[in-house]
Amino acid sequence: MNEERIDELRQRLRSLGYLDAGVARFVLAPARETRGPLALAARASIRMGLLGGALLGPSAALGLGARLPGLVSGVRDALVLALYLSILFFAAVAAAAFAISTAAAAFVRVRDARFPARARTVSAAAGWCIALGCLAYLTFWWRNANAGFGWSAPLWTTFALVVAVSISWLLGYGLRMATLAVLAAAAAGSGAQLPAIPSTSWRVVVGAAAMAFCGAAALLILTAPTATASARAPLAVVSSGKRLLVIAIDGVDPSTPLSVLRGRRAALAARDTGDPARGWTTIATGEPPEVHGVHGLETRRIAGLRGILAADGGRFERLLGAGTDLVRLTRPSIASREERRVKTVWEIAADAGLRTAVVNWWATWPAPAGGGIVVTDRAVLRLEQGGSLDAEIAPPELYPTLQQGWSSIRARAAEAAARHFADVSDGTLVKVLRRSAELDATVIGLLQALPGPARDLDLVYLPGLDIAQHALLTGSGTAALVPSAVTARVDGLRAYYRFLDATLLPLVSARDPEVLVMVLAEPGRIDTPTDGSLSIAGDASSNGGVSRASPLDVAPTILYALGLPLSRELPGHPLRDVLGSAVANAPERYVPTYGRPFAPAAARKGTPLDQEMIDRLRSLGYVK
Amino acid sequence: MSALPAGFEEHQRRAAAELARLVPASGGRVEQAMAYTALAPSKQVRAVLVLLCAELCRGDADRAVSAAAAIELVHASSLVLDDLPSMDDAPLRRGRRANHLEFGEATAILAAFGLLNLAYGTLAKSYEPPLASRMSALLSDAVGSDGLIGGQSLDLAATDREISFEMLERIHRGKTGALFVAAAMFGALIAGAPADAMAALASYAKNLGLAFQIVDDVLDVAGTTAATGKAVRADARKTTFVSFSGVDGARQLAAELCQTADRALAPFGAKADPLRQLSAFVAARRL
Repeated sequence: MNEERIDELRQRLRSLGYLDAGVARFVLAPARETRGPLALAARASIRMGLLGGALLGPSAALGLGARLPGLVSGVRDALVLALYLSILFFAAVAAAAFAISTAAAAFVRVRDARFPARARTVSAAAGWCIALGCLAYLTFWWRNANAGFGWSAPLWTTFALVVAVSISWLLGYGLRMATLAVLAAAAAGSGAQLPAIPSTSWRVVVGAAAMAFCGAAALLILTAPTATASARAPLAVVSSGKRLLVIAIDGVDPSTPLSVLRGRRAALAARDTGDPARGWTTIATGEPPEVHGVHGLETRRIAGLRGILAADGGRFERLLGAGTDLVRLTRPSIASREERRVKTVWEIAADAGLRTAVVNWWATWPAPAGGGIVVTDRAVLRLEQGGSLDAEIAPPELYPTLQQGWSSIRARAAEAAARHFADVSDGTLVKVLRRSAELDATVIGLLQALPGPARDLDLVYLPGLDIAQHALLTGSGTAALVPSAVTARVDGLRAYYRFLDATLLPLVSARDPEVLVMVLAEPGRIDTPTDGSLSIAGDASSNGGVSRASPLDVAPTILYALGLPLSRELPGHPLRDVLGSAVANAPERYVPTYGRPFAPAAARKGTPLDQEMIDRLRSLGYVK
Repeated sequence: MSALPAGFEEHQRRAAAELARLVPASGGRVEQAMAYTALAPSKQVRAVLVLLCAELCRGDADRAVSAAAAIELVHASSLVLDDLPSMDDAPLRRGRRANHLEFGEATAILAAFGLLNLAYGTLAKSYEPPLASRMSALLSDAVGSDGLIGGQSLDLAATDREISFEMLERIHRGKTGALFVAAAMFGALIAGAPADAMAALASYAKNLGLAFQIVDDVLDVAGTTAATGKAVRADARKTTFVSFSGVDGARQLAAELCQTADRALAPFGAKADPLRQLSAFVAARRL
């Protein structure tokens, strides 16, 4: 007779009311051999912890994954995270169960005549305590997990709450039984009348356990982000006939305007932080950081997880991060596309069928498979180092083309940098300026090297000015500079502005008349918040005054200029007065949402450049 | 025949003494037939269960002896009826010829009714009216159509037929489990135990009763007449637990049922150890 047959009979006996299958059997298993109340409390609490970990870990992983979208990049991440959280909940529930059951044993006087009644009351209170705490936690969990998934349907909510109630009931019942057993063990030999066990239908226990387990597992699997979750909004384009080139320049001092910024202009209100990943993602998405999810350049990667944990950069968070880094539970990482919760303008445009390209924008790695050309913020590093792609460039077929032209791009960039700063004599100064200029020229070279037909939207991010400004004026040791040295550095930065003008003007002035050039300027990493600007240098613009706007208005302006409908979720508005009449006459059209960016990453065969990226950003002054 | 662990000898002795007092071996033929089965050497598991439950709930074991005897009387009555030609037609019981073979069928039937009648009378005479009334009602349920009578009826209908696992459980719940649960309840009621404690003991007795019956089925296949005191392989025409799970599987399930029974005793702590010894005996018994 095989074990399967015995097991089937076992199940049938359980269904007939024998062989209790409930939580009590599991939790109270040590009661048979253990005599002392403390030993029994400890052993029963460990089992309570196992139960709590198994039930709450997966549900917490789901909630955390929904709240921090970069954290869970697939089913494997979800499982690893669930394991971590299960361990955490194991410890928490075991500690709570031990504390409550031993406190109950200490609270109820064994020799009291009312011992049985009090034991029943206290054990019931202990059970209610943990059940209500668990239910409150799971309710908040559901509220968080529901965000972004559109699970407002009553059926889903009912299901989730039934699962929550089942888990809570199980834990509450388990602790009630454990507390009763501990009290009974405390009373053993004292002559006190023993507390009685509550009679509970085995059907309820078995049913609730099965429902809780299946419910948590089903929720976890159903909500793991997948490619199929990427619901593309049907976007109709009413083209103005214009293509758009967006040049983003970081580190621009508004009092030292670039020639390329001339034209109809809007001042962009100073943003809350100088963090480039956070600020430029806000511009690219048209949503504030609380919505788009990229809170800072520095993030943390949890051991065993491919996804990342975004950091707000608070003091406590930094301390916690340092602690977890020390024990190798986490390691530093850089902001990436994985933590972004909303689509960027190029993703929206690509969804609408427009041809797009973005080069070197923050938090674009890993590039998605499909959806236009994406040369991520790690692409320069990959092209320098060679090897297989780890989603640094999309589509992957573009990689060989860029590799082929890479040496000439670098050579031209080096030559341009050397030429523009030939008259700078200070060795440190010229080194900083050339390195920054080479990087900007390389990025522009990459944009120009992109093959294929003309695109509807090109975006390029130039970090060089910000890197130079940060190194020369806000880096370590700058406070001790003599005035002449400061003057030399300011002169050096002025030279950099001239370099940018010389490099960009051909792009802006020798343009195709069908191309609208938008120049975005931000002040970069400076301590005093300063306005940025949005300038239009295309045919559709004209010289004029400066209007006030928000960085949140940039994305709607780009989308409007491309003839795309605007999402009602966007808080900003298109700057129609900045755009020329050829573009701004079209009526604004709206759609409810652009959907969520759940596109899977492009080919990831190569070695991740995580550490190299950190080292690079550290050398450029971004990471301390 | 005293097959229980040594610690239960005193309980067995007290139950046996009470039975001897209630059913004197001398007297008419029916009385002799009653004594023939009721006083035959046996394990008296049900009587011991009554006494242990009473002790566990801090009751007076002496006060429970009458109830223990009443339970054994009902059990003896059921054995006499069970062995009749119209029922199982068994030749041996408790190491002796079956009652109807010794005294004739008519006398055996009368003896069975006499034992049953004596059981109710004992309860009525030994306990104050509210308790006697509750125990009589409990015994009536255990004997009635949902208990012994119902189980035996289903058992007769199941002879030479293949039956489901659930039907087998119903038969054993009626024929064995009902009286085990009644025994535990008698002990708890006499001790004045609260309802929750009674529920725990009922759970213990229910699991123990089924384990006892499963082991009985195993012994019918794997035991000997000398050891069991009754004809073995007598259930060849019936579906038993062994039919479903095999001998080893049945032993395993019986052991798990006994463990479950023990877990029901968790709130009682170490004081319930005698009941745990009883379940350990049931799980391991070979006779």
